[in-house]
Amino acid sequence: MKPGSKLKSAVCDTEVMVIKGTEGSVECGGAPMLEERSGEGGEPSPDFSGGTQMGKRYVNEGGSVELLCVKAGKGSLSLDGTALGIKEAKSLPSSD
Amino acid sequence: MSKVMEGVRVLEVAQMTFVPAAGAILADWGADVIKIEHPVRGDSQRGFVNMGGVKVNPKRSPFVEHPNRGKRSVGVDITTPEGIEVIYELAKTADVFLTNYLPRQRQKFKFDIEHIRAANPNIIYARGSAYGDKGPERDFGGFDGTAFWNRSGIATAMTPPEIEGSLSQGIPAFGDSIGGMNIAGGISAALFHRERTGEATEIDVSLLSTAWWAAGTSIDMGIDCGQVSRNRMPVSGGNPGNPFMGNYTCADGGIINMCTLTPGPHIRNVFEHLGLAEAADDPRFATAEELMKNWEAASDLIREQFASKPFSYWREHLKTMSGQWAPVLDLLQIADDEQALANDMLFEVEAGDGGEPIKLVRGPVQFNHEPVRTTRAPEASEHTELVLMEMGMEWEQIENLKNKGAIA
Repeated sequence: MKPGSKLKSAVCDTEVMVIKGTEGSVECGGAPMLEERSGEGGEPSPDFSGGTQMGKRYVNEGGSVELLCVKAGKGSLSLDGTALGIKEAKSLPSSD
Repeated sequence: MSKVMEGVRVLEVAQMTFVPAAGAILADWGADVIKIEHPVRGDSQRGFVNMGGVKVNPKRSPFVEHPNRGKRSVGVDITTPEGIEVIYELAKTADVFLTNYLPRQRQKFKFDIEHIRAANPNIIYARGSAYGDKGPERDFGGFDGTAFWNRSGIATAMTPPEIEGSLSQGIPAFGDSIGGMNIAGGISAALFHRERTGEATEIDVSLLSTAWWAAGTSIDMGIDCGQVSRNRMPVSGGNPGNPFMGNYTCADGGIINMCTLTPGPHIRNVFEHLGLAEAADDPRFATAEELMKNWEAASDLIREQFASKPFSYWREHLKTMSGQWAPVLDLLQIADDEQALANDMLFEVEAGDGGEPIKLVRGPVQFNHEPVRTTRAPEASEHTELVLMEMGMEWEQIENLKNKGAIA
């Protein structure tokens, strides 16, 4: 994968932009993501079927890989088989 | 809705509700609003855990959606030299710069009018403040609770003198939302002026000016005659001098607000609707002058009538009454109000947590009878790369700025 490039899910509508990271295999729905979607399709594996959300950033634990979801789908994202988490803004708590 | 602001770009360097709400209105109207957020924390607004004492789900926060729907978010640390250069580059592509940072911060981090105009001499520069951009308190921050509600005199006017203390604003972001619309109106006029004459203006709206305008009749009158009106304690009964004006409590505790300011032409119709047809022939109430003189006696009769039947009866029965009136509702009851919904007061956006769509209140202005169609509020820094690439920035430069912590 190459930062700035886009990847498409092989098994659902998900598309991501690679923001950070060059090593490892990015999967969606358990299947490696591709630069161009092949015609075959298939279904997300049950272990990776939580879905992706448009506009969310997905990161690995160390923060060395970051993907921006630009199109949502039914599969969920992983890196070399390990699920990626959502990056959140670290806002300071407020109360009115 | 007709995208009357299509083709207008707004660069928003602002937080909380007041000034971002102006951006939200302009986005509803079709403007391309780029919201700058802190790369790590995002808009402070994202940190709200309570709203008016009610717990907020931060993933479905109205505090974030109401003032930010329809925008794109770009994460820039405006306190870094590289970050501020990104702001200048974005300013070159924008028609309007919108901010609520304090004067000393605008100077310190170099995004005051002279810095932004150096990048783009034709940009409209809009400031939202607590107390105005002139005078000894221009560098004081504030919220609507302070500047709009309390400092302005509104809280005192709202509080009956019999109550010890002072009523609070009661509705989160009440003054902010009104003030945001005021800014959006000012920006619209400034865009029109620039289109006609080529001159780009500065705009100032404060939470204090918002309150003063809203309370303008009372302030003007107070200055002229040395006395201002205050709220009365709530009672069931007519206002002194006019029994067709005032709140009346129904059998089940619901309240009907009677508001027939000029009672004369409505005497028979109103009494008939209230089940008091004979009162219209009573010489004490038959003319406007007599009715106003004998308001207490009429108010007693009307109070008894309202107390004899439930709210739902009166709400239906008064629909054909010629005088003005309204049911007293709460903000949850209004959410399925037929009349409000017929005027598209609510629209839906997808929820950031993937759950049920979120219903949002639209701005007060509608074009061509058409409902608002827009997108949800962005995630913090959701569109950084997309907007910077669209602006022509190379990926290497984006990575470089990220490594320096200038963007996210």
